[in-house]
Amino acid sequence: MKGQYFAGVDIGSTMTKVVIMDEATLASVIGPTGPEHRKLANRVMEEALGRAKLAFDEITYVVATGYGRINVPFADRQITEISCHARGIAHLLPEVRTVIDIGGQDSKGIKLRDGRAVDFVMNDKCAAGTGRFLEVAAESLGVSLEEMGRLSLEAENRVEISSTCTVFAAQEVVAKLSEGAALADIIAGLHEAIATRIYGMVRRLKIEREVALTGGGAKNIGLVKALEARLGFPALLPPEPLLTGAIGAALLGRDIVKEAEEKGEKLKISPRRLTEATLFT
Amino acid sequence: MTEEKKPEEKKKRKTATEAAGKIGPMVKAALAENLRAKEEGKPIAYSFIYSGYDEIIRAMDIVPAWTENYAGICGVKRDAQRFLERAEGENFSRSLCTYALCGLGFDSWREELGEMPPDPPWGGQARPTVMLGSGQVICDPRYKWYQAAQHYMPDVPVYVGGLPYPPYEEDYDYREVQDYYVKYIVEELRGLVEFLEKHTNRKMDWERLSQVVDISDRTWNMISEAYDLRKAVPCPMGTGDAMNTMVPMTFMMGTQEGLDFFKDLYDELKRKIANREGIIPDEKYRLLWGGGLPSWFALTDFNYFNSKGAVFPAEVTYRLVEPVYNLDLPRVSDPLEHLAWRWVRYWTYRHDRARKRPGSTPDVERLIEYIEDYKIDGVVMHEAFSCRSWHPGLIWQLNQLKRVYRDIPSLVLESDIVDISSYNEADTRARIDAFIDTLEAVKSR
Repeated sequence: MKGQYFAGVDIGSTMTKVVIMDEATLASVIGPTGPEHRKLANRVMEEALGRAKLAFDEITYVVATGYGRINVPFADRQITEISCHARGIAHLLPEVRTVIDIGGQDSKGIKLRDGRAVDFVMNDKCAAGTGRFLEVAAESLGVSLEEMGRLSLEAENRVEISSTCTVFAAQEVVAKLSEGAALADIIAGLHEAIATRIYGMVRRLKIEREVALTGGGAKNIGLVKALEARLGFPALLPPEPLLTGAIGAALLGRDIVKEAEEKGEKLKISPRRLTEATLFT
Repeated sequence: MTEEKKPEEKKKRKTATEAAGKIGPMVKAALAENLRAKEEGKPIAYSFIYSGYDEIIRAMDIVPAWTENYAGICGVKRDAQRFLERAEGENFSRSLCTYALCGLGFDSWREELGEMPPDPPWGGQARPTVMLGSGQVICDPRYKWYQAAQHYMPDVPVYVGGLPYPPYEEDYDYREVQDYYVKYIVEELRGLVEFLEKHTNRKMDWERLSQVVDISDRTWNMISEAYDLRKAVPCPMGTGDAMNTMVPMTFMMGTQEGLDFFKDLYDELKRKIANREGIIPDEKYRLLWGGGLPSWFALTDFNYFNSKGAVFPAEVTYRLVEPVYNLDLPRVSDPLEHLAWRWVRYWTYRHDRARKRPGSTPDVERLIEYIEDYKIDGVVMHEAFSCRSWHPGLIWQLNQLKRVYRDIPSLVLESDIVDISSYNEADTRARIDAFIDTLEAVKSR
């Protein structure tokens, strides 16, 4: 597959990720997902191509994934994030059997066999158990999301957050603050609450070691520790947890091209245009 | 006002069988019959499906009004929200069964106006003569719904029965206690007959009841034999259609019309199998609807599964019968006693099988039986948030299935039966897409 390049575009609810690969990752870009997915997908792709020093028509195959995958007009194929995460993790951490992905608006558990997803659970109904829960709490506490993880490790007397609803939990946080609870203790309580919800969902899969954590939540050390405490063993983290789906998408693109070449089939390729999409395209 | 809004109706779902296509007009006709009965002064009974009262109601020529079904119709027509909001305005909880919530909203509105609410789905639901509650154990709101409806119709009498059956325990045999259950059920049914005679001025014709019971026995057999034909590959009829054919199963039990419907369905499925005519031409995955009521407003999701190569040859939902000849019923002359035995034996049908598999239960045995008989690749369940009595046990069943049997791919959908605000089509279909990926991965291993 020498001289061939593959792009994976993962449009999540909060962040958009693009990876360009040949045998290894050549370039990756992470940017916030705005309301105009298609416009952003173009821009992030353009930036990734610049970093990889490639023209768009040099890309052999583009796979889009994530909840906004249908809004990538230049993708050759759309594949679910479950399959892309599975492929990405199988490549990055082949020993993993269970993936816990904590995204901005949903979280999911994926069971892997031979590098493919064979079962999954998903929470996309309720913000509790997703990155949004911590985001809302961080706003209430006046702390940046990035600081939350580190601060939680300073807790000495973790506060119990009993509300499972994100909105009510935010109110509870304010009440705890007014009662004089330490900031770090409250944040540790929040991490414990979200970890409990995620673990409760994923254990339906019969969790098997090794377990990998992916998505934005895996970049939060407080949440990672809280989940590891629930699991009872350490979890594995990919080098950049946000890119797992995009890497998987690029790799699946490579698999598709390889299979087509072996079978002598011609693949349908979308026009390699990065012009801004309009409602009529 | 939000109550006055009438949302756009969803397009008609494509069915695989001609039989399922007949159901819409059939339900419409039944509702029209209720309204006509009201005008003619015939007694109308608010009733719950599968309460065990069907044959008695039919034998006494009382017109049943299936209130859960009417809420389901409002859901299918995507016109339930205004009735749900009305009930909420009356301070009923949003977490109450949304069938009940929709029905109570409708009743309170009709009673306040003294006529049907504006533009009611399919003509509306007629005011009843009596209300027949049923505490049949799968559903607790069925004890209280009609009692709550009495707030708006204090002059309409309510009978609340509830036919019990021996619970499953690994270490005892239901046969030790079944006689007590039968006696209790017979008394409950006799009480119902007395109640109806008192409040509807109809006398029970016991000879007629025996005939109706015979028709319903034959209907149980006919349904079982017709549904067994769905074991064929390719499958000629899926769960989407079965969510239609539940109508004659549950609303017409004990009628010749119901029996004839399933004879026709049997013939149609036989024809399809002979012609190798499946739901879809290229059947890749065979799925079991493993539990939960459907989202009535989103039955097209079944067609979406079909578009991905997946079919549902079997479901546990609304398969409320077994072949009567397999139930080993004692010969009795009292039709009420026959109904009691049939009830107890139906609910204990898989007790013996479950006891042979440590950790299993009759519900899990039914899943295993269908998985094997229908060559199933994966299990789909639906957790409807407002159906508290049934859905909390689904995940447990799924876990037990995987523990005592095998690790089979599964998908749990989350929404509601009537409340469309709980549903997100894009998310639901993203889950279905991911599930299809896992089925593919498992099949290609």
